[in-house]
Amino acid sequence: MPRLTLFVRSERHVIDYEPGQSLRDLLDATDFRVRSACHGLGACGLCRVRLLDGTVGAPTAAELLQIEATDRAAGVRLACQIHPTGDIAVALLDPAPPSEWRTPPPGLVAATLPVTNCDRSRPPGIVNPLGLAVDLGTSHLTLAFHELASGRRLGLRFGRNPQGHHGADVVTRLVAAGEPATARQLAGEVRMAIGTAIADAAQREGFDASRIGRVVIVGNTAMLALLANRNHQRLLQPSMWSAPLDCAPTDTAEWTSDWSIAPVAEVEVIPPLSGFVGSDLLAGLVASDLLAGPAPALFIDFGTNSEIALWTGTALWVTAAAGGPAFETGPGRCGMPAETGAVYRVVFDAAEQPIARILGNDEARGLCGSGLVDLVAGLRRQGVLTPVGRFADGRSAYEFVVGKHTLALDWRDVDALQRAKGAIGAGISVLCTQAGLALRTLRRVVAAGLFGRYLDVENARQIGLLPDVPAEHIELAGNSALTGAVALLLSESARAMLARARATASCVNLAKMANFDTAFLEHLYLRPMSSS
Amino acid sequence: MSNVGHALPDSPAIDFAPLIAALLAGDHAAALKETHRLRALGVSPEAIVTEGLEVAMDRLDEKCTIEQFNLLEIMLVGRAVAVVVHELFPEGLQPEKGRATFVIATLEGDVHDLGKNIVRTVLLGKGFRVVDLGRDCPVETLAEAAGREQARAVLVSGLISTVVPQVRRVRPALRRRGLDRVTVVAGGAALKQLSPADLDVDYVAETAFDGARYLENLVTTEGTVR
Ligand code: FES
Repeated sequence: MPRLTLFVRSERHVIDYEPGQSLRDLLDATDFRVRSACHGLGACGLCRVRLLDGTVGAPTAAELLQIEATDRAAGVRLACQIHPTGDIAVALLDPAPPSEWRTPPPGLVAATLPVTNCDRSRPPGIVNPLGLAVDLGTSHLTLAFHELASGRRLGLRFGRNPQGHHGADVVTRLVAAGEPATARQLAGEVRMAIGTAIADAAQREGFDASRIGRVVIVGNTAMLALLANRNHQRLLQPSMWSAPLDCAPTDTAEWTSDWSIAPVAEVEVIPPLSGFVGSDLLAGLVASDLLAGPAPALFIDFGTNSEIALWTGTALWVTAAAGGPAFETGPGRCGMPAETGAVYRVVFDAAEQPIARILGNDEARGLCGSGLVDLVAGLRRQGVLTPVGRFADGRSAYEFVVGKHTLALDWRDVDALQRAKGAIGAGISVLCTQAGLALRTLRRVVAAGLFGRYLDVENARQIGLLPDVPAEHIELAGNSALTGAVALLLSESARAMLARARATASCVNLAKMANFDTAFLEHLYLRPMSSS
Repeated sequence: MSNVGHALPDSPAIDFAPLIAALLAGDHAAALKETHRLRALGVSPEAIVTEGLEVAMDRLDEKCTIEQFNLLEIMLVGRAVAVVVHELFPEGLQPEKGRATFVIATLEGDVHDLGKNIVRTVLLGKGFRVVDLGRDCPVETLAEAAGREQARAVLVSGLISTVVPQVRRVRPALRRRGLDRVTVVAGGAALKQLSPADLDVDYVAETAFDGARYLENLVTTEGTVR
């Protein structure tokens, strides 16, 4: 991968990048954003950088217009106008203030739309109305802004769910929400976060937020219930989990005014399927066209609560397995979400030393879920870890150096990964038993979720996180919930698909399944699923 | 349980060490083979429990305090013990007369009950009467059973945090039935990070052994037999 050397204020940073995007877009996914107010059209002139080393194309018409000849001679360019392909060094002349909101890492959200026709009727009274799709996750929020008529994407935003400080997991937040004042606070925090993301996108991408005439929100059941501040306490009663839960907002006028979008905007919260299967799963099924593609097909949305669907060609079985935080926030002491600074890929060199790849920064702050999978699979191959998850030589942690930091993978981190994988593997095997299918007959496996995006398929298969089917049958879909929400924003056929999935799905409660325990134990081993 | 039954203590062939090693390694097939071997030599089921299972449990207890075990390892030991107990007593372990009764369950919302099975095994090994309500058990069912079985204590386990709210409902459910004297003990990965006050229980067990010790103490110091 080519390298980008950045000089930001007085610091120097080196980042590896995939060519293909403009420098502005590349930087938008990192901690080092340039200023911007025109969606990278070359109209605002704010995204100035000085090229210090390396070659990029000749100045564009926009650059000739925006930059004085003397500055041009000194190497000043517009970040949105240059598309680097090789090693370059640039200085950010006017770095943007740090924001909570970033462009999602490349590939997290599918670049192409899952729908071909934008045939949903548009809200009246707005010239060239825009739409916003939101995936409300336990750890992160992801937002996509689109023109409703053309489907053109105006921007993406990605940031943490601010409720995280009330507890990383859903239950802690639900318990906290038992206090009405806290419940109001939790609802307000997420609403506020959506508002600041809208403001950030509108400013940087240069559109008027008041043109937003439709908002589609998908998410897991608990997040939707907390957002609407309705019925969330029912989720603390397991007897309610298999039933549908009403979390439609009662009054969205306040929301549209908080967000400074069109007062007439429609806010659609897509209803979840049940207490434990949210509308994020349904949206993912729409995005991956699961019910129309090759069957049998398995869909796994990796997360704190991992949702799993199995489509046999005639029947759709869905369930949820408690994955724990290992995937979304990474392992224990050295863990972090797949954000800038996360080690998302680990490969071992000939001397069996780990080499880490870091997201959007040259300084590692921790290990995220996919990095954890790589590391554990590699240590398994070397025999440092046994299939039971023990360090073969009796040590209690494996330490490795990334740049200035030493990260330590503890036996507990391995245990947490095993538990998460055990629950998902057991969920998959219970669904297969329910449907009367053998795992190896699967013709399609879709791995979705932020974590799924960076997964190394081979490593995931080796430790039994993904089924042992030919690699060409496995797809890494990234945030399919958001892609599905965009499709629902724009297209009638997507809405028809959603209705079909909702009508066909049967929820399976793992707690009621007699074969769960044995399956869970078998899937705790670090070995391919076929040997479980 | 000091009854060694028909064992021939002086016979060199009667060696419990391989059984103990197989149990601690979580190798249920080897543990079963050893059990068959000992039985064929005429060792009584009771002797296998006292000289084999209980010794293995004590060792595991010691090992757990110095070494770290992951969930899979603990579950494998639990499975091996369960396989051997089932082989020896297909009808269930006979309670020693007069010892206290405990009701044990994994509460509604949690599907993992192997941890609970280990606690049950340890308590059975110590000769208590244990009524096991299985997993995904509603709080009301648990409270009802505590009354019916005249339990001295109820034990609830939870591996995942979704079960926390259920645990908090246990004591009120017992109180509603006038069972104020029933002790409530919680254990399991998700619960042991919380304090007894957080969970509204009497004791939060660090391990299965820790829980068993607490209960044994409770019963011994009271001297009461229910
Ligand atoms: S000119 Fe580059 S972002 Fe506006």
